[in-house]
Amino acid sequence: MKKAFLSLFILISVNTGLLLAQSESDVLLGVWESGSGKARVKIDKVSDKFFGKIVWLKEPNNEEGKPKVDKNNPEEKLRTAPLLGYRMLKDFSYKGEKTWEDGTIYDPENGSTYSCTIKMTDDNTLEVRGFIGVSLFGRTDVWKRIQLKKK
Amino acid sequence: MKQFGWLFFLLSTTLLSVAQEADTVEDYSMYGEAELAGGAKRFCTSKVFDLSPNKLISVGYDFQGGYRGDFGSQGAIPSQSATVQNNYGLRLAANVPVISKTNILLNVGATYWENFYSFSESNLSHPLAQSLNKYGLRTMGLNFTLFKPFNEKKFLIVNGSADLNGNYSFSDFQSFNSTKVSAVAVYGWKKHDRLMYGFGVARTFRVGETNYLPVFLYNYTFPSRKWGVEALLPARAALRRTFSARTLGFFGYELEGNSYLVRNLSNEFPSSFNSVELRRSELRIRFTFEQSIKDFLWLSLQAGLRYNYRFNVDEKEFFRGFGDQAYLFENSLANSLYVNFSINLVSP
Repeated sequence: MKKAFLSLFILISVNTGLLLAQSESDVLLGVWESGSGKARVKIDKVSDKFFGKIVWLKEPNNEEGKPKVDKNNPEEKLRTAPLLGYRMLKDFSYKGEKTWEDGTIYDPENGSTYSCTIKMTDDNTLEVRGFIGVSLFGRTDVWKRIQLKKK
Repeated sequence: MKQFGWLFFLLSTTLLSVAQEADTVEDYSMYGEAELAGGAKRFCTSKVFDLSPNKLISVGYDFQGGYRGDFGSQGAIPSQSATVQNNYGLRLAANVPVISKTNILLNVGATYWENFYSFSESNLSHPLAQSLNKYGLRTMGLNFTLFKPFNEKKFLIVNGSADLNGNYSFSDFQSFNSTKVSAVAVYGWKKHDRLMYGFGVARTFRVGETNYLPVFLYNYTFPSRKWGVEALLPARAALRRTFSARTLGFFGYELEGNSYLVRNLSNEFPSSFNSVELRRSELRIRFTFEQSIKDFLWLSLQAGLRYNYRFNVDEKEFFRGFGDQAYLFENSLANSLYVNFSINLVSP
């Protein structure tokens, strides 16, 4: 009986801790618009890592009127993958203080993948910094949270 | 047994809380009907589609082929014609974004350019030719570029630079009092993602001496996304061909110039001219080819004609404006071909 209560206590503690950490890190979840307004990215969580995929493009079609594909990808076999649904943010881990690190961001405009950190400055604003090697050689893009209109 | 029911329930919620969201086929149309949360404002960006990438670090080398130079007389100093075998020198630049917000961008940078002269003649008599042959010219400076969007359409660009130009070396630096300050401010409109333009004014040394000029910014990408124009008139303009996102070609021109403090370092000049101002300005008409060679490293190759616009000497720094004050030495350089190549780390 004692063992069962001890297990129950441990599980409740672990569960509460996990839920607290999760709720803090999960504020990143949602749909965000890039600084240029050209794309909207939906951030999801897979296991304990965060990923973001393109869910909207200001100009969804190419000059031929067909849905845009990842034509600048350095890997030839991926150049026919549609941009809509493309995972451009990968492998972010929550590091506390509303900061997610160790991830990468892919820029479909030039086919480059950069190291990336995300910092939430308020509930509706992200500072997404893509950089090369060290953070100094980078650029910060400010993303805004998107509120879907109710139909 | 009830305890196991609890355990099972808690275990399930724990697992559920970290469960990964399965990738399902999504209706993306729902994401079009949306607005920025919290009433946030949208701002225009500083670029149009396919604009050439911003260079964070650039390490380059500039080389001009041979040409004839006619150096003018002054008092007892006779004129001299001499052959410059070549000009050469490093061109280094760094340009780092320090503030990068949706509503403000600030880049700061530094430049270091060398321009050494190699003459054919060993018996140079003209003081300016002697000085150039011995010390060359250097430019070192700091600069900033501010982009301030007001809304989705209107923006302001302010650029400023402070340069030390002269025949100094690192062991014999020249006074910071000789710093040349240039600036340009442009108020513009971003009509859409392929067009931005603006009007402004510049304080510039591109024509060799201080000048105040109206400027016109025009960046345009054609609907095909294969061609574009990048221009800040009258300083530079180029027609851009986008072969791919990682390969660009340009044809255009740039007006390059500055005013250099040329000091009388080893008595090339008479003692009455301890320092003079060389007004150098040249038009570079060129082809440029830029390609990403690995990820963020880009190679830039440039070749073209260097057309001499001004290479005169004033006794000191002053604003000539519309005045017709005579130059101390009036020189002319024949035109020459040049090449320039650089390795660049480009910005994300």
